[in-house]
Amino acid sequence: MPREAEPSLNEKQFILQALQENLRLDGRQLDQYRPLELTFGDEYGVAQVSLGKTKVFAKASAEVTVPYTDRPLDGVFTIMTELSPMASPAFEVNRPNETEVLLSRLLEKTVRRSGALDTESLCLVAGQKCWSVRVDVHVLSHDGNVIDASCLAVVAALRHFRKSDTSMEGGVLTVYTPAEREPVPLGWLHSPFCVTWSFFGDEGETAVLDATRAEEQIRVGSCTISLNRHGEICQIAKLGGTPVEAVALLQCTSLALTKVKEFSTVLDRKLAEDSKRRDKSGRAAELTAENDR
Amino acid sequence: MASTQHVLLSPAELAYLHASLSLTPPIRPDGRTPTQFRPLVAETGILPGTNGSARICFADGTEAIVGVKAEVERTKLSRVGPADELEGTRLVGDVVEGLAGAGGTENITEKEEIATNGADWVELSVEIPGYRDDDAGTAFLSAMLAEALLADGEFARKLYINRRFHWKLYLDILLISPPLSYPLPLLSLTTHLALLSTRLPRLKSEGDEDPFFDDDWAAAPYLYPRRKGDSGKATSKPPVSLLVMAVGNSIIFDPSKEELAVADVALAVSIGEALSSSSTSLGKKATTEDAMNLDDGEGRSLRLLSVRTIDPPSRLTPPGVPNATNSAYGAATATQKQPEARTAELEAVEGVWKAPRGGAKPLVMAALVQKVLEKGGVADEVLDALDAVDLV
Amino acid sequence: MPLDTSAYSLALLRVDGRRWNELRRIHAQIRTQAAADGSSYFEMGHTKVMCVVNGPSEPGPRRGGTAAAAPGGGQSKDAEVAVSIVVAGFSSVDRKRVGRGDKRILELQSTISSALTASLHTHLYPHSTINISLHVLSQDGSLLAALINAATLACVDAGIPMTDYVAACTAGSTSTYAANDESADPLLDLNHQEEQELPGLTVATLGDSDRVAVLVCESRVQVGRLEGMLAVGVDGCKQVREILDRVVREKGRRMLQEGTVEKGVGLDEMDMD
Repeated sequence: MPREAEPSLNEKQFILQALQENLRLDGRQLDQYRPLELTFGDEYGVAQVSLGKTKVFAKASAEVTVPYTDRPLDGVFTIMTELSPMASPAFEVNRPNETEVLLSRLLEKTVRRSGALDTESLCLVAGQKCWSVRVDVHVLSHDGNVIDASCLAVVAALRHFRKSDTSMEGGVLTVYTPAEREPVPLGWLHSPFCVTWSFFGDEGETAVLDATRAEEQIRVGSCTISLNRHGEICQIAKLGGTPVEAVALLQCTSLALTKVKEFSTVLDRKLAEDSKRRDKSGRAAELTAENDR
Repeated sequence: MASTQHVLLSPAELAYLHASLSLTPPIRPDGRTPTQFRPLVAETGILPGTNGSARICFADGTEAIVGVKAEVERTKLSRVGPADELEGTRLVGDVVEGLAGAGGTENITEKEEIATNGADWVELSVEIPGYRDDDAGTAFLSAMLAEALLADGEFARKLYINRRFHWKLYLDILLISPPLSYPLPLLSLTTHLALLSTRLPRLKSEGDEDPFFDDDWAAAPYLYPRRKGDSGKATSKPPVSLLVMAVGNSIIFDPSKEELAVADVALAVSIGEALSSSSTSLGKKATTEDAMNLDDGEGRSLRLLSVRTIDPPSRLTPPGVPNATNSAYGAATATQKQPEARTAELEAVEGVWKAPRGGAKPLVMAALVQKVLEKGGVADEVLDALDAVDLV
Repeated sequence: MPLDTSAYSLALLRVDGRRWNELRRIHAQIRTQAAADGSSYFEMGHTKVMCVVNGPSEPGPRRGGTAAAAPGGGQSKDAEVAVSIVVAGFSSVDRKRVGRGDKRILELQSTISSALTASLHTHLYPHSTINISLHVLSQDGSLLAALINAATLACVDAGIPMTDYVAACTAGSTSTYAANDESADPLLDLNHQEEQELPGLTVATLGDSDRVAVLVCESRVQVGRLEGMLAVGVDGCKQVREILDRVVREKGRRMLQEGTVEKGVGLDEMDMD
């Protein structure tokens, strides 16, 4: 089993001492994110998020399947995560390690269990046909804080995604190609985002946002809080690690809310920009078609 | 089938164990007599959420918990092959007629036929900490326990509701402690107790309608019904599997893992107890060669249900190669010297025990089985002890 | 079937008749098994859990099931805490078989391993493994909390030095996330029914302090509700800690009386704490 090289004692000491003096190696504030980049692909449902050197790619897709027998009125919604050796040599293909299990559980709880996607709207014919929406998350480069980046990528991909329009007439289900009818967005209820705090120090007194890989390796604990901008907690996961004062956790949560609101505005803005860009090109195409005639 | 993980014993220790166990009477490391079981603590009805449950702790610290859950399942009439399909439907039909018409007189052929059906009416799973559930050892254990359970041919009959529905019994067997000695006897005894304490809700519906049951748990009958009047004694019993081993001429029951390390042969013998009244019919019912029937005159008749050999660890270790013949030690002419080398290997060295090669002798096997079924022997003792456990 | 909480506002009693700040009956035992280095049995209402600890010992060959491996895996300066959880098929109302590869189980294993690693003095046992195997016999809510408590007790029994008890319990809130009413009361120690229907979280704290080792919330809840729930949860953990401490001391006293421990040594140690 390949293992990640651990930071040396000197590196550890250096980073920790700097953090005690409220300094970080890359000159950020303790509660500052690395520059966030969000780009959408040419296709619908493709999003790429980068936070510093961490890069995550998410692609949403949909197909028509048979719903689960115990939930005939719901569609199927799955999130698949993959940590390949491309992201870090410590990851192996087809062998989920702890990081991957925790990542997929967190995304599951944040996006799926919180009901961000309206799965009932995916139902086409009760008990017989429904949409199966699937998001594949690929971590392209791992430099810490994969969780926040992945969650943002998943939400962005799903909100950007358009599925083919359908109609039901006389018991006949028709799925239209994009040429026949403009694809429609998914039934979206709220946009949750993850914010991960890393704790340092003997009592976990220093809380840091958006830790890099090196910081993640020497942190004593972490807490991932998922919220939407309406101030609803979707999930909190502080899975062990050094105990942290309860009051500090409450502060972390309220700070996380402001970050989530920022994410939310960034995503809304990017989506608006993208749709404007598409709209322009779409109208231009129509115009050329008219001119040809 | 590997009996347990390797015990790290030196050649001298093995030789000592082998020598002392081969004496008549054998001297066991813990001072027990050859037929003596280790003391055990047992309780039943520990989990109110199950249909039946039991927990047994052996004195060596191994502990097991068994829970039985029952669910109503629709009986599948279709079989794999078209010929079988016809057969299957007809058989179930026969049984229903038999039940409805005779109302209690039992037709033996029918019982057997349900038994062929019964294998998928029981699901048995064994969990051993630290082992995967698809580990060969675990799978073998559960297969052995299931085999013994189904071998008496009556089990499926107890699960029958009507021709469309039957009970599906789930037995989850958990070994709580690490497997210190071969866990089969422990798991089997615990399963036995759990099944004895298992109750299924009383059926209120009649005939082939969708079954519905009495809410009153106090009225629920036991899976193994009790004899009326006699306080809490079951009329028939689930099987128990005992572990017996032979060293030299001595036969030793309930071996610990150290003793198992020097076994010449180890057997898992499953025995069942049948009603003495039905003993006449048992002869007809015997489907396997090894099924036999001994009356001990006390009203308990023991039936041999299955016998499995267990590989003692010595069988899994390849015999050592003397340095003289080992090519790694420069014995280049090893191939030529092979015949002499083999004789050298077979020669007994004073104070060193060599694992036996080859299979067990039929005579020894017969003696082992005979010993288990002996009148007033260990099997009786164990069943008596289990009888004494209060059923909740 | 939605849980009927309408009665709560009338009588201030929950479905099982408890008040908002009442724990369910907790019954715990340590040293339940002779063969293990440490063992415990923990019961919180109808949630029943057994724990067996082996080690610290030389790490054996890697087997399936112990996915929760600390970085270093037995080769590091600190002991590795390997947790494996077996959920018995008969533990829930409907029989359901939970495979070992289930991600929920893996997450639980990793959580317990990481929570205990922070409390145990693992640096005293370099290059070794502490094997914690947990068996879930019966589930009725607050599973993670019961598992943590059982593991703590078993580690105490195994005599592994640790800073303090890691005690856990759950807390919830009386109305669902949609209803944004300020009057919602926090609840202590949720059972299965409440866990399904109401927002809740699991808290584990270290000893008497307010320091939170584990905080897991898996349901949607207004952020304002968190403070109340957390306060009740932390308070519940202190009550649980008292109960755990009583169990350990009671067992210790009995062992001294029965002469299982050499008297001189044992008494000194007892006086110290």
